[in-house]
Amino acid sequence: MITGLLLLVSGAFAGAFGALLGLGGGVLLVPLLTLGFERPLRESVAVALVCVIVTSSAASGAHLQRRTANLRLGLLLALFTALGSLVGGLVSFLVPERLLAGLFALLLVYVCVTMARGFLPRGRGSATAGVGGGEPPPGAGWSAGSLVALLSTPDYRVRRVGPASGASVGSGLLSALLGVGGGVINVPTMHVLMGVPLRVATATSNLVVGVTAIASAIIYLVNGAIDPYVAGPTALGVFAGATVGARNAHRVDVRVLRGLFVVVLGWTALQMARRAIGA
Amino acid sequence: MSAPADPGTAVAPVTPAEAAAIEHDIRRVLAVGTWLGIALLATGVALMLVNGISPHQAFTPFDLGRVLPDLLAGRAEGFLWAGIVVFIATPIARVLGELVLYVRGREWTMTLVALAILGVVALSLLIALLVEV
Repeated sequence: MITGLLLLVSGAFAGAFGALLGLGGGVLLVPLLTLGFERPLRESVAVALVCVIVTSSAASGAHLQRRTANLRLGLLLALFTALGSLVGGLVSFLVPERLLAGLFALLLVYVCVTMARGFLPRGRGSATAGVGGGEPPPGAGWSAGSLVALLSTPDYRVRRVGPASGASVGSGLLSALLGVGGGVINVPTMHVLMGVPLRVATATSNLVVGVTAIASAIIYLVNGAIDPYVAGPTALGVFAGATVGARNAHRVDVRVLRGLFVVVLGWTALQMARRAIGA
Repeated sequence: MSAPADPGTAVAPVTPAEAAAIEHDIRRVLAVGTWLGIALLATGVALMLVNGISPHQAFTPFDLGRVLPDLLAGRAEGFLWAGIVVFIATPIARVLGELVLYVRGREWTMTLVALAILGVVALSLLIALLVEV
């Protein structure tokens, strides 16, 4: 009973800080479940994927209402992330857990570095201004122009759709193997590679990650890798924490949190690396 | 969403008002899916706590055929599985909603993309059922 409550609180912690820092809960949840609750890594990944879907579904409605996200771009990238996720879901059962732990340690180092450089955006609270992502450009139908024209809006023109699609396959693979949403790849892909404004990229990524996680979550679910007694309290906590975190994002000095989290994630990366080498 | 006029077809393109109505429906599906999923998970967790079920306890792997009987019997596992299934179905419902939007707007490229995503999801289910990994 106490473990159930602890899972609920841990989920809330991961959800709140994930929302405040613009990270998906998975980056925090998988180490929490693995190191804190001694759950097998693969099971932790499966539970984290359920939580990714929960937070994405909860936030998607708000992004659609604010018209912050670029629906067409999100749908196109989701196709490629879903393909990567499908492959990742299958491969994950063949990959040794120590290798997964090593990959997760590398991911944490990458997130640490990007956070330390101040790249990752604030969470859902930052994605408030409409940037015209909901409306298609003039002549966006079948008869009109290229895919680029279809995905662009009057405010910005997307570029490098091909390389971004390739990066999205990688994002889906990473998501399925490590239980993260894939925002750590999606957001830089859209913002840096494709020239999409950061707040649009953040909101669009939120739509993408829900679809991404489904393809592998189904494989985990059918193969008995999702423990409902762990997933239930954790997902509930993540939902509550993410809701509170997103509503209070504007009240918190994220610089302090970011500094703290660089340290915490660095320590976590070290623990995952130790698990990978069997120390 | 406003679709371009296409004088070459007899079917009128979707109007901005119709597109807004479809987008409203998509948002409503997302809201209903989210709150239904949360209600089911919350009930399952409450039953876990009331019945003293620990997360360390062994669980029965997912079996769709058992979800409804477990729900009706008031078992925690039934509510938890139902909540998880609702959450997995919610983004699929969103893609379906977008599919309707693009079909009505005669945006065939995006229609194909939406169909391809649904195909990938169906493929993952098929592989999961057929291949023991």
